[in-house]
Amino acid sequence: MNIKVIYGTETGNAEMVADDIVEALSDDFDIESADMSKVSITDVSAENFYFVVCSTYGDGELPNSAKPLFDSLERHKPDLTGVRFAVFGLGDSFYATYNKGSEIIANAFTALGASQVGERGLHDATSGDLPGDVALPWAKQVLSAL
Amino acid sequence: MSAPSVAIIGSGPSGCYMAQALRRHWAEAEIVIFDRLPVPYGLVRYGVAPDHPGTKAVTRQFERMFERDSIQFVGNVEVGKSISLEALRAAFDVVVIASGLHGDRPLGIAGEDVAHVYGAGRITRLLNDHPDEAGLAPRFGRSPVIVGNGNVAIDVLRLLAKAPADFHGSELSEESLAQLVAHDIQQVHIVGRASAVQAKFDTVMIRELAKLQGVHFEVSADSVLGEATDAAQLAKLEAILGLTDRPCTQGARKVVFHFGWAPQSIHSTHGAVSALQVSDATGNSKVIDASSLITAVGFQESSGSSLERERISSAAAQLDKGLLDQGLFCTGWYRRGPTGTIPDNRNDAKQVAEHIVAHWGSKVSAKRGLQAIAQGLGDTVSYQGWTRIDRAELSIAPEGRQRRKLRDIASMLKLAQTTRSGEQP
Repeated sequence: MNIKVIYGTETGNAEMVADDIVEALSDDFDIESADMSKVSITDVSAENFYFVVCSTYGDGELPNSAKPLFDSLERHKPDLTGVRFAVFGLGDSFYATYNKGSEIIANAFTALGASQVGERGLHDATSGDLPGDVALPWAKQVLSAL
Repeated sequence: MSAPSVAIIGSGPSGCYMAQALRRHWAEAEIVIFDRLPVPYGLVRYGVAPDHPGTKAVTRQFERMFERDSIQFVGNVEVGKSISLEALRAAFDVVVIASGLHGDRPLGIAGEDVAHVYGAGRITRLLNDHPDEAGLAPRFGRSPVIVGNGNVAIDVLRLLAKAPADFHGSELSEESLAQLVAHDIQQVHIVGRASAVQAKFDTVMIRELAKLQGVHFEVSADSVLGEATDAAQLAKLEAILGLTDRPCTQGARKVVFHFGWAPQSIHSTHGAVSALQVSDATGNSKVIDASSLITAVGFQESSGSSLERERISSAAAQLDKGLLDQGLFCTGWYRRGPTGTIPDNRNDAKQVAEHIVAHWGSKVSAKRGLQAIAQGLGDTVSYQGWTRIDRAELSIAPEGRQRRKLRDIASMLKLAQTTRSGEQP
């Protein structure tokens, strides 16, 4: 199984989580990461499994690097039936819009027929936890349930 | 091709993102980040408000960079004092200045030199326990006035208006809290030149104010609200007006926004500020009583900075690419001025890094890097030294606080067990 870890980021924290996931799973899977701003909708294929790692920015918005793919999904509405993905969100529970960004991108995928696997993983910046410490057990659990 | 040796001046977000970006291009290059303080992270540690620990968590990325990507930290080295910029350039193939903008931009109006007028940069440094401000004891008084409508102005407003109990979970020190509670602040006025819809602060900063306990918000009746022309402006306006809908509680502190009013002059009594005169676009003016004045209208180079950009730029400088001179570059606020948050400085560093790589081309490194200058640097702090400070600060955090920062350089150096120049860390 090919795994693509795609991330939407503003500060690079989501990129760090994506790197962690790739590093932890690269012995067992064909896995690579990419900034969502470099992913086009024609790249999204049912042959891959997707980890979507996404932060939240501003007033509960998608981070900038996730916006082009999101806009493209909204505009072209590709059929994503058969595409499986799991979502990990980064946010700050200090704000009412905690982890809204990852919710927006997950909903965009499911609305086009993709199926979300497992619960959305969440990292809270205020918790003081290392994002990777939360993301890795979550990612392994997602894969074990496939 | 051999990768260059790289020195980065300043370990704030811009400097750290620059190191991260250059490491991706050059896996083998020696990359050293210098800071004038013994501790890293610049404005993440000393500019981001002490009650925004989630924003400060970006340091997790930078820790990883120092720990795993062999980026070196050399603290307690002030370029211009410990070593000249020329000597640094002689030792490193590429030098990148990411030292930010330290000075508070003045209002440029009459009376600014009277007592009890403070720059917001100094205040946020003070409340973040910056060693430079150890001697500052601002006299906020009962009715401070803030000038400016950016995120820094809102940070200062929130810190002044917040009840002591609401600092739970922050990094605010007992000393900083004492500075805030010493004045029995009754009301805070905040004055901005722009209309409410065009105010520069982010809407999320206003939503945060809605969580403050025991604060009553008003928008002055003569404020200019403006017409919202898009969804973002409408959301901003609704957030501002939403603050004023809350019921007024007994004994609440009052916060009053004045939108569309520009500062004209500062009135004083016995050498200290007493009021701020402001005027609107139609020429009306009014006077707002002020026990102190905090200016939050941007940042600029400190006077007498040894890294003054104008002075060190050559005729070949291309500021849009971050190029100042042969082998000398800059990024972040130092390059573009004091606008944009942490993500903007990440993008800036990535773009300038591309230019640095292109500029270097396939040259061969001819300079020895850190080992060429290590002898003469005096007491320096390595990343290992910083981790000793970091662990100590976390371990002595009192109940309800994430960290207790060391507040003076001597304690930092002592804890870090500084490396004498020339010794291996």
